[in-house]
Amino acid sequence: MIQKKICLLGSFAVGKTSLIQQHINSLFSDKYLTTVGVKIDKAVFEIDGKQLSLMIWDIAGEDDFTNIRPAYLRGLDGYIIVIDGSRNSTVHKALSIHQKVVESCGEIPVVFAINKADIKHEWEVTEEQFSQLKRTDYPVFETSAKSGQSVDSIFSNLGGQLLQHHG
Amino acid sequence: MDKLEELIYNSFDVVVFKKDTNGKFIIHSRPTDWLLFFLNHNSEGTYRLTQYFPYLGCFIDEAERHWKSGKIEALTSGPWVEADEKGHELALEASAIKIDGEDILLLQNLGEKYRQEVQRLQSLREGLLSQEKLENEIAKRTRHVQQQKEQIAIKLVSLTSYRDEETEAHVKRIGLYAAAMAKALGWDEQRIDDIRIAATMHDIGKIGIPDKILLKKGKLTDEEFEIMKQHTEIGANLLGDSNIPVLNMASTIALCHHERWDGQGYPHGLREKEIPVTARIVCIVDKYDALIHERVYKKAFSEDVVTKLMKEMSGRSLDPELLELFFELLPIMQRICSEVTDKVTDNRNQDPYELLEEIRLSDIA
Ligand SMILES: Nc1nc2c(ncn2[C@@H]2O[C@H](COP(=O)(O)OP(=O)(O)O)[C@@H](O)[C@H]2O)c(=O)[nH]1
Ligand SMILES: [Mg+2]
Repeated sequence: MIQKKICLLGSFAVGKTSLIQQHINSLFSDKYLTTVGVKIDKAVFEIDGKQLSLMIWDIAGEDDFTNIRPAYLRGLDGYIIVIDGSRNSTVHKALSIHQKVVESCGEIPVVFAINKADIKHEWEVTEEQFSQLKRTDYPVFETSAKSGQSVDSIFSNLGGQLLQHHG
Repeated sequence: MDKLEELIYNSFDVVVFKKDTNGKFIIHSRPTDWLLFFLNHNSEGTYRLTQYFPYLGCFIDEAERHWKSGKIEALTSGPWVEADEKGHELALEASAIKIDGEDILLLQNLGEKYRQEVQRLQSLREGLLSQEKLENEIAKRTRHVQQQKEQIAIKLVSLTSYRDEETEAHVKRIGLYAAAMAKALGWDEQRIDDIRIAATMHDIGKIGIPDKILLKKGKLTDEEFEIMKQHTEIGANLLGDSNIPVLNMASTIALCHHERWDGQGYPHGLREKEIPVTARIVCIVDKYDALIHERVYKKAFSEDVVTKLMKEMSGRSLDPELLELFFELLPIMQRICSEVTDKVTDNRNQDPYELLEEIRLSDIA
């Protein structure tokens, strides 16, 4: 079986932990419990008849109190960058984190998730930022950890890219 | 292991390992229940720890460097979370430390300490979130007030030019073109906002020109032209003498928007960079809008003809560098031109200010 390490990255409270929980356990909680440190989950996929085991690293989001330790990124095979559609600041953060990862890991498979699509009426991310993201040629999904919208798609898209990358 | 040592390890819920050869670790203290669970109750006493704790795979490299460096303080891994037998979360932390020439690795169950840290960060982050919300709300309201102010300004300005054929949309466009230029020049937000309003007022002095001259069909006599020229100074005086930055800028623009790059303009015959940059910008965009639209004295010219005519003005009436920039921004200018019109239905959908959002410095090579 092919084993890969992936990470969810983004500002704090964008929904990284919630997306993983929804994907693995089909659960969602409104109660916000911040992640401190790192939690690793496992998920097994079957894509085109190939088995893929993903080690999913959930790490604390970047904010004034924590920074992503470069060591977390060691051996990273791919990552999901999460944006909170209702918080404009998380777009800038996402782009700067992405920049950082590219600098230390090179171009590896990535998926962008604009999360909290269930509250789209509260979204602050402008059409312009949105199309700017789409122009980057990276896959962009509108997700909701609450309703489940496109949650499995971000993981399977990344999984597909990883297998392709794997050759 | 002496009694005291054991008690200390116990109360910190910590297990001590000594580094062995080939990446394995020898346990040096009594293994705790949680450790045995994670080691699958393997009691060999020597373990390849990274196999049981994938997280350590990342930390061990840092630890190796730390042990080699000879530093005496401990290097900690930061906490990570594992699920125990009952599915409860357990927060662990590793520390690398050199003691007596030995490479020592501590594994600690953080327990209560971790829960406190979570509580602390939780409330700090909630604070950050609500602060962010407030700031957004304030920014939104400020924007709203700013837009209302602008609308009032534009209404008043178009009122003063009611006698000739200038319209509200023309006035609005001039402001937007100018702001687009300012943005491409990398001005700060405040100055961009200012020129968007100030540019609209460049012709306000025409209020002081008699109808028989302002509305005259056909060529003005020399004498009439001298009077017509006064609209620059009348405007500057009307707008001047305040301590409101946007009005000061508007006053400067009104005064200098008929100066020419070659020094042949009026009222003062300023040349090149003696002419304030705000006025040089308005000069260009006002020309463009006049040429591209129909006027009583002329029909609308095509984009090609306008570009050609303006190129001929480069270095004569218009600042060549700014004109160059203007041409680079032409796609944006064309959109402003076609989307901000007097037909109400046309500009109901899109907020013209959003057009400005689309100007990125990266678009301007
Ligand atoms: N409405 C809505 N809330 C969400 C969604 N995803 C996460 N949240 C909430 O956002 C907060 C932060 O989520 P969390 O997963 O802890 O974010 P993390 O810090 O990025 O791991 C929690 O209160 C979640 O309930 C979503 O898709 N929709
Ligand atoms: Mg989290």
